[in-house]
Amino acid sequence: MRGLPGQIGTWLAMPVVAALVALCLAPLLILLAYSFFQVDFVAISRDPTFANYVKIAGSETYRGLIARAFGSALLVVAITAVIGYPVAWFIAKRVTGAKSTLLTLLLVPLYSGDLVRIFAWRVLLGAEGAINRTLMWLGLTTEPLAGLLFSPLATHIALTYNYLPFMVIGLWLAFESLDDAWLEAAADLGAPAADRFRRVTLPLTSPGLIAGGLMVFVMVAGDYLTPQLLGGASGITIISAVNDLFGTAFDWPLGSAIAWTMLAILMLCFGAGALAIRRTALVSEGV
Amino acid sequence: MYRRDLLRTALAGAALGALGPASRAYAATDILWMTWENLAKDDYLAPFFAANDVALTKTFIGTDDEQFAKLRAGGASSVDLITPGLDKVEFYTASDLLQPIDFDKVPNAALLYDTFKKTPLGKVDGETYGIPFYWGINPIVYRADLMDEEPDWSVFFEGDKYNGKLAMRDYALEGIMIAAMYLGIPESEMFDLDDAQLAEVKKVLMIQKSKLRTYWNSIGDLTNLFATGEVVCAFSWVPPYYDLRAKGIDMGMAKPKEGVIGWCDTIAVPKGVEGERLDATFKLVDYLLGPDYGKMLAVGGPYAQSTSAARDMLSAEEQEKIFISDLSIMDSFVWKKNPPRYNEWVALWNEVKAS
Repeated sequence: MRGLPGQIGTWLAMPVVAALVALCLAPLLILLAYSFFQVDFVAISRDPTFANYVKIAGSETYRGLIARAFGSALLVVAITAVIGYPVAWFIAKRVTGAKSTLLTLLLVPLYSGDLVRIFAWRVLLGAEGAINRTLMWLGLTTEPLAGLLFSPLATHIALTYNYLPFMVIGLWLAFESLDDAWLEAAADLGAPAADRFRRVTLPLTSPGLIAGGLMVFVMVAGDYLTPQLLGGASGITIISAVNDLFGTAFDWPLGSAIAWTMLAILMLCFGAGALAIRRTALVSEGV
Repeated sequence: MYRRDLLRTALAGAALGALGPASRAYAATDILWMTWENLAKDDYLAPFFAANDVALTKTFIGTDDEQFAKLRAGGASSVDLITPGLDKVEFYTASDLLQPIDFDKVPNAALLYDTFKKTPLGKVDGETYGIPFYWGINPIVYRADLMDEEPDWSVFFEGDKYNGKLAMRDYALEGIMIAAMYLGIPESEMFDLDDAQLAEVKKVLMIQKSKLRTYWNSIGDLTNLFATGEVVCAFSWVPPYYDLRAKGIDMGMAKPKEGVIGWCDTIAVPKGVEGERLDATFKLVDYLLGPDYGKMLAVGGPYAQSTSAARDMLSAEEQEKIFISDLSIMDSFVWKKNPPRYNEWVALWNEVKAS
């Protein structure tokens, strides 16, 4: 009798598991298989080889683009963390009545869609955009600053704006579960504010920081529309290179190998993140 | 009573709505055309539907590559007509995805311009698999009010007057063709570049990159960049020239003497289409090469059909607009072809962009 609810739960979960396997795992495994094939014009040779992975390792372009994707993701994680930390603290610890309103407002830009937000940034950062016009009106510049738009700066401003809510949500959850009694105890024991932050607040909110950071990291590493439309001549990303390989060049095997290289690195990052969350959870439990 | 009447009316309406398409679907032969949105406008096709009991489903493509990827991945069985570029038909025939065109069922094909009759592209062993459909050029489009003189390809490689004000299409094939034309590489060698020539091309493309504002991916986006003055000159498609002139901006269109890239899209029938569907498909193909469609495409596009069917129905100005007033101009175009080492071209293009 005790096992019956558990069995029902297992059976009920089966369609979800089947859907996950069919829609998520199977395509990834097919992609993995393709990554060991070779292409000859439009024919795919299915003799397994590591040639594509060797090509990626030997190509300065692909290595550089992969490094650039993760470097860019790390930078945006750092910026969103610095901005998101006080915002999340404020919503969790200082706002009482309008908490849900503030959180909803935070998410409003996400309802507008990627392209709308990207073009809104173009309007702001362009040669005839609001920022350049204001700077010229104030007499701070004599001609529009070309570097504001179609530059890595524009790309990173938009990426930060796009993904900041995901960092704030992760941090807000961590701050909500932070018991203020820990901070009061630390203060009673004479710990100065900086120490209270470093030894109590930061460790206890780090699971939120890591979870939010991983979300932002993955989304920035996989975003190619923002760099393409705001990054100018340097807007190429490893994802747009994969797009070229799958589309224009019909080199599905090399495209698959790059996709799996990215996936493997992301899985390593996730593994490290999960380990870090587990360690901080053990520390906070006093183990 | 009011509520009951309303429900009755709604139910009757729903029943009629459901019956309408169903009865039509049973009466007509359904065919599916995978094409560009601007080619399948309802008014362009209205005369065809008025004369034939055919129902058409349209699937729009964003790029030629996307179309090939869909068919190559197994989508050919559900599609009756596709619209590949003349240079890309080889991809489909090598993948055994197409059936030859039955010219007995396409009488308007007799009116194909000589350039398209003679082209070896789209053919295998004398059989035509992709029949030229419509064509045009990809010129340099520029803001005449912001440039001192008509540019040629050198504007993308020399001088610094327009640095940071230029745009190039993000497409390896055309990007490398332009570099080759600038370097004076003849058309006979252009699609079969050796290592030394590719190295030269890469060198000038790196110079070009330093002068660009951006690489463009959508023609709507490029039109916006022209309108806002972010870009003053670009390797472009024709539409921004007409669209922005209509809005009062002084635009120019340059056809460099070193060569202008000509493009042509074909219509092709996937393997496996047969019976009534095949007959209906060839009827549509014949209509697409005929005078009614050709006139509407010339006026509405403005694009030129590959046949002369509508030529005499167009005014001199309309002919000029689609480059058919003097047909000898076609001989000066460099028609796009598929390079045998295209994967290396794409890799080179990405190397330049990532540099």
